[in-house]
Amino acid sequence: MARVLILGAGIAGHTAALHAKRLLGKKNEIIVVAPNSNYNWIPSNIWVGVGKMYKEQVIFPLAPIYKRKKIEFHQGLAKSIYPEGDSKTASPFVEIAYTDPNRSNEFARIKYDYLVNATGPKLNFAATQGLGPEGHTVSVCTAGHAVEAAASLKDAISLMKLGKNQTLAIGVGHGTCTCEGAAFEYTFNVDHELRMAGVRDMADLVYITNEYELGDFGVGGMVFTQRGFQTTSKLWTESLFRERGVRAILGAHVEKVETGKIFYEQVDGNKNVLEFDFAMLLPPFRGVDLAAFNKSGEDISSQIFAPSGFMKVDADYSGKPYEDWKAEDWPSTYRNPTYPNMFAVGIAFAPPHQISKPRKSPNGTVIAPSPPRTGMPSGIMGKLSILTIADLINKGSDAKAHSASMAKMGAACVASSGSGLTKGSAAAMTMFPIVPDFQKYPNTGRSLKDTYGEIGLSGHWIKLLLHYLFIYKAKARPGWAFIPE
Amino acid sequence: MENPQDAIAHAPLPTAKTLRFRRNIPVQIWRFVAINIKMLNMIRKGHNQK
Ligand SMILES: Cc1cc2nc3c(=O)[nH]c(=O)nc-3n(C[C@H](O)[C@H](O)[C@H](O)COP(=O)(O)OP(=O)(O)OC[C@H]3O[C@@H](n4cnc5c(N)ncnc54)[C@H](O)[C@@H]3O)c2cc1C
Repeated sequence: MARVLILGAGIAGHTAALHAKRLLGKKNEIIVVAPNSNYNWIPSNIWVGVGKMYKEQVIFPLAPIYKRKKIEFHQGLAKSIYPEGDSKTASPFVEIAYTDPNRSNEFARIKYDYLVNATGPKLNFAATQGLGPEGHTVSVCTAGHAVEAAASLKDAISLMKLGKNQTLAIGVGHGTCTCEGAAFEYTFNVDHELRMAGVRDMADLVYITNEYELGDFGVGGMVFTQRGFQTTSKLWTESLFRERGVRAILGAHVEKVETGKIFYEQVDGNKNVLEFDFAMLLPPFRGVDLAAFNKSGEDISSQIFAPSGFMKVDADYSGKPYEDWKAEDWPSTYRNPTYPNMFAVGIAFAPPHQISKPRKSPNGTVIAPSPPRTGMPSGIMGKLSILTIADLINKGSDAKAHSASMAKMGAACVASSGSGLTKGSAAAMTMFPIVPDFQKYPNTGRSLKDTYGEIGLSGHWIKLLLHYLFIYKAKARPGWAFIPE
Repeated sequence: MENPQDAIAHAPLPTAKTLRFRRNIPVQIWRFVAINIKMLNMIRKGHNQK
């Protein structure tokens, strides 16, 4: 009997846990450690953040699902990994601190044969002074944050109804942020809400981003074919900004936020201040606070984790110049090179380099969107790690690892731009592959056939369908395994 | 760096007809099916890597 320990119960970890139970559960132990009692379908936080959904519609308790599936669940935070065990035991283990209110101040050591690190990002608000719910801006990264954002937006709308003009700043709060798609989505949902409330003319809506061009989305932009022409996501996005009257500040690194003021520097070195009444800025991500120790208790964190705090896997981390990277530098098995029984999936793995061209201002400030690791790839990686583990357990240690490189995988991104069954709208985009492969697709790095964008009500229906479908799947209701990641 | 406001001001503006298409229920039902097929194709490719 083997023990599979999964850290994290987000898209990657929860997908891994359910597949692990399905494929290995009869004879093996599946254990999940996650600090929150609830699962959160994060993409729908956008709708919570504009008051179109309740928090309860995007979260549900994990414990009953795990009880029904006979998966052992520990509500706690993984603190340290001992991949070689320690002086007392040769079995690898993870030290956890319980966050379960019934076990507060308790710690445990959980042994494992296979470890899946799916701990996602640390929301690094601290990287920018004054950023985040404890500072001067709101966020939609958690369901709780999104509730606060909706309340703050409601206040701004009330003021506009009283005749006070408002500046609403939405975007990313640091030069190295990722997830620009989510900020873009929130911008257009806010625009939609302002129109519905009849106050759009009272609002100056400003999108502030580290992207060098609109439509970059941290993936270096896309080229689409539309009506017999090649067009770019830049032009396509600019068109939406024009149609909706949204201003943009590009190539920006937010240095600090004070009450009503965002201080930022742009790629050209100019420093400016944006005054705001409402601001939703996403934080930069880094790896969660996890340390690793060898058998003799020496800290080996720098060997296991990249400087960003994300776990190293089978990628090329040699740090070659941006111009020299290739699609095959991206990982495909997500196994840690030093300890191959350890996997890092979803946002938790360390990407080898940026997809968007990184830039520096003349003052040396790095303004470089980090590569997005969205829901679909995160789910695929979670499942893939379990397929490999299942083969290692069932076929032996020589079994070939399954592979799913982001350079061979597409992504579907549906960025809602307003809700409502007949009035909603969304920008539906597909790209293949996520990481451009200029060897295979010399002109644009991606397949023109499979890279596509369209705006319309149908996109909103798709986004709504995904909301219900993926929550159904995450609840492990009958037939869940037939719903693809 | 290009001024994004200039670029936005010169971006193509959808015509009233395009905007109507984006909300027209029969057209959008058809687009819903078409986009879903595109997405399923892509998901299939992502899941079946050699
Ligand atoms: C506002 C927003 C909107 C988005 N919209 C979309 C979208 O429309 N489409 C899309 O594809 N993607 C979207 N994304 C991205 C998507 O949410 C991520 O790709 C996805 O959540 C990544 O999954 P993950 O499992 O790696 O991380 P997460 O979902 O963040 O899960 C991480 C898990 O690890 C747990 N954890 C953290 N620390 C520890 C620890 N020390 N020990 C144990 N467990 C720990 C967390 O509690 C959580 O359970 C959006 C993201 C945001 C922020």
